[in-house]
Amino acid sequence: MKRFKLTQALLFAMALVLFTTPGHARVYYDITATSFKKVTIGVPPFKGEAADRLRSDTTDLLNKDLDLSGFFITTPQSLMDKELTDEGVEKASIKFGNWRSIGIELLCKARLQEKDGDLAIEAYLYDTLDGSLMLAKRYRTRTDEWRRAVHRLADDIMLAVTGEKGINSSRVVFVSGTRNRKDIYISDIDGTNTKSLTNFRSITLSPSVSPNGRYLAYTSYKEGKPNLFVMDLDQHKEVYADRDEGMKTGTAWTGKATLLYTHTAGRYSTIYSLDVEKKERKVIQRNEGISASPSFSPEGTKMVFVSDMHGSPQIYLKDLVSGNTNRLTFSGTYNSAPVFSPKGDTIAFVARFEGAFEICLMNADGSNQRVLTSGGLNDSPQFSPCGRYIIYSSNKGGKQNIYVMLFNGENKRLLKFTEGEESQPKFVP
Amino acid sequence: MKYLTILIAILIMAIFGCAQKAVKMTPAEQKQAEAVQAGKYPPEGGERLKEGGVSEEELAARERMKGMSGLSNLEAAGKSVLLDVLFEFDSYTIKPEFFPKLDEMATALKNQRNINVVVEGNCDERGTIEYNLALGQKRAEAVKSYLVKIGVDSTRIRTVSFGKEVPVDPGHTEESWAKNRRAHIKIDQKG
Repeated sequence: MKRFKLTQALLFAMALVLFTTPGHARVYYDITATSFKKVTIGVPPFKGEAADRLRSDTTDLLNKDLDLSGFFITTPQSLMDKELTDEGVEKASIKFGNWRSIGIELLCKARLQEKDGDLAIEAYLYDTLDGSLMLAKRYRTRTDEWRRAVHRLADDIMLAVTGEKGINSSRVVFVSGTRNRKDIYISDIDGTNTKSLTNFRSITLSPSVSPNGRYLAYTSYKEGKPNLFVMDLDQHKEVYADRDEGMKTGTAWTGKATLLYTHTAGRYSTIYSLDVEKKERKVIQRNEGISASPSFSPEGTKMVFVSDMHGSPQIYLKDLVSGNTNRLTFSGTYNSAPVFSPKGDTIAFVARFEGAFEICLMNADGSNQRVLTSGGLNDSPQFSPCGRYIIYSSNKGGKQNIYVMLFNGENKRLLKFTEGEESQPKFVP
Repeated sequence: MKYLTILIAILIMAIFGCAQKAVKMTPAEQKQAEAVQAGKYPPEGGERLKEGGVSEEELAARERMKGMSGLSNLEAAGKSVLLDVLFEFDSYTIKPEFFPKLDEMATALKNQRNINVVVEGNCDERGTIEYNLALGQKRAEAVKSYLVKIGVDSTRIRTVSFGKEVPVDPGHTEESWAKNRRAHIKIDQKG
């Protein structure tokens, strides 16, 4: 009698194991992200005919921009003695050996010329190893737009050294506010020129801007329930609204002005693509339960999204050509907010990991899943247009703030735009 | 005598029916109103009726008063909540302990057809914003579909999700989170 029961128990246990083990290889989180070597750059105080304040502001801003880029180690002013900072800007007057001896690999010197509200910045970038000139450029601007000129210089240094421009001239849309009052804002990434795009005295969420830069999508409770709107930014007027019952959130775009949004109501979740200009809406997918956060690959042939179709929120990849859907995440009980890199090779997402909600990265086929952040409640990862950076929100320190980091998790930097709780950031194309 | 009682009852209903959003109930009054809805106390202001020797008309009137006075008191108060249905983390399955209260609400709604409700779905602070907006909707839908299943007309129930945007408890403990995972049911002022 006892042996029969034992056999039954064993058979039952076997059945359990057989039916609950997923059919794919298990993927594990790899916490150690691949690193690359940063370059040490020296930016001594800019010279030339301009107010002291302007010269120090431009020098400081360039250092800040290079630090934000994640590819450079900037040199503190205290490390550069008078002999170094008194040098001229042209190659002939530079003793590269002195710069090398304090560990500086690249040297950026600039001369300002300010007159009658116009500013010119003459900038040179040298490799201290052999004194070769990597960049020589003049930037002209109105004096009161000096920040813009410095950002362009920083982006050009990035281009010369890494082959791609940086994000210093970027703009960001995001949500800011307090519990019952949230609006959409746009800002330069350096925290200046911040202005609100909505002012509805309500809760307005989930902003995103179309690739052609013309439209802003958002979900707002201004009419008493969450409705989805698309606004023409040039004319500042709404050109589309979905007021159906249920939750509508649009989070991503494809092509020039095609919005992807989900509608959750009744038993189903529907993912739509909406060509805003042609006013054409198509159903991409409809399923029972929850589906959210759709994001297309850059060529528009694949879609990632989160769904609870297997019980808990997990990330799925749908081939839009064949219609096949594959599950990408198998670790843990909460994987959400997926977004495709503009390079198409990786997907950023949020995973519940050791009690926290972390920004993670995986290859587009679901392999090599790794954690990029370290603790707290992190959310809403989005790539920069170049694909090298991820912007996201985090509640570290007790308040919701926006951060930017390299795609491998390095060089996390706090961005500050307003006094409110900031969330759901996206780069403006 | 019995006609006088019915007349008094109708008068009382008329008075409470006309009172608009201005009246705010104290917690004690609210508790009594809820008890009245549950049929425990005699309707406010009404005469205590004897159990024995009561005609069918009187019984019907009494039943109407029980159901109506409770809800009409709440209507007068304007924003009072009817019920909070709570959920497990990441779930939109209604827990069995809430079915009796939902059944009661359905009965009250069927007895008073001029009242509509809105179900607001909410989540705790954990998880992503976007997924929680959808999850809140599913919680509201779960409550609505149960009420519809037991006979309430679906056009009388609106659903709105607030995701994790308006938690009722700002704390960061399991206790706070449990309170925030709720479908908040209240009288629909727009209904």
